[in-house]
Amino acid sequence: MQAERIQATVAAQKSDEVRSALEKVWLSSRPEALGRLVTLRRFTDSLRSGTPDQDSWERALSAAHRLSGSLGMFGFSEASVCAAEIEALLAGGSTLDVATLARLVERMRGLLERTQASSGKPEQRDL
Amino acid sequence: MAKTVLVIDDDRDIREVAKASLELVGGFTVIVAESGRRGVAVAQEARPDAIILDLMMPDFDGHQALAQLKDGPDTAHIPVIMLTAKVQANKLELVGKGAAGVLVKPFDPMQLSNQVCEILGWNAGGKDPGHSGCAKE
Repeated sequence: MQAERIQATVAAQKSDEVRSALEKVWLSSRPEALGRLVTLRRFTDSLRSGTPDQDSWERALSAAHRLSGSLGMFGFSEASVCAAEIEALLAGGSTLDVATLARLVERMRGLLERTQASSGKPEQRDL
Repeated sequence: MAKTVLVIDDDRDIREVAKASLELVGGFTVIVAESGRRGVAVAQEARPDAIILDLMMPDFDGHQALAQLKDGPDTAHIPVIMLTAKVQANKLELVGKGAAGVLVKPFDPMQLSNQVCEILGWNAGGKDPGHSGCAKE
């Protein structure tokens, strides 16, 4: 019984340590995440005004891939899923539906803005 | 003695979170590399107990790094766990190329150590109270 209590206490301490470490990493990486969002918005704009070059396409795909891979780790599951949808859409190539992309990018903007709302303490974290 | 895990990923966030998670939860010693090429060099030098390798990296990707690691006499024996997003995951293909298993991004930092232990057949659960990793067998 006592061993179980100790286990629970130590596990809770570890959990707190990990949360604290995640908080620090997120604070330093949030500007980068917002930069990736800018990349996606610019790409969407360029799609509306013509055909973007291959480099722009690859930059957008990379931005979505990185957002998808990292946001979920910080507990932003909804934003991570949204980024994965954007990535899948971009990977589809020429069949891409611009209106759907724009809607998803706008949704991503809203989700990322909410992570800023509490001065570095993301509200959406469900870790 | 704690096992050493090498994390190879070009994304700084992934490297930092994986490092914090594996060290704090699992009790591993963690070293990192920011590219496939650099990762292979670090593996040859440090001979870690396991490698977590991102699949999608520019220039020298996870497929190429895995092939080089499995071809190298100093690194062929080191188990390599591939790290990939769901949309790309092709576990059978990667295992066929020598990977020990596949971890899906985004991973849960609280569960990463246990997932590594499970894939590698390392003794998870730990002998220390509250030790959820497997570094202290």
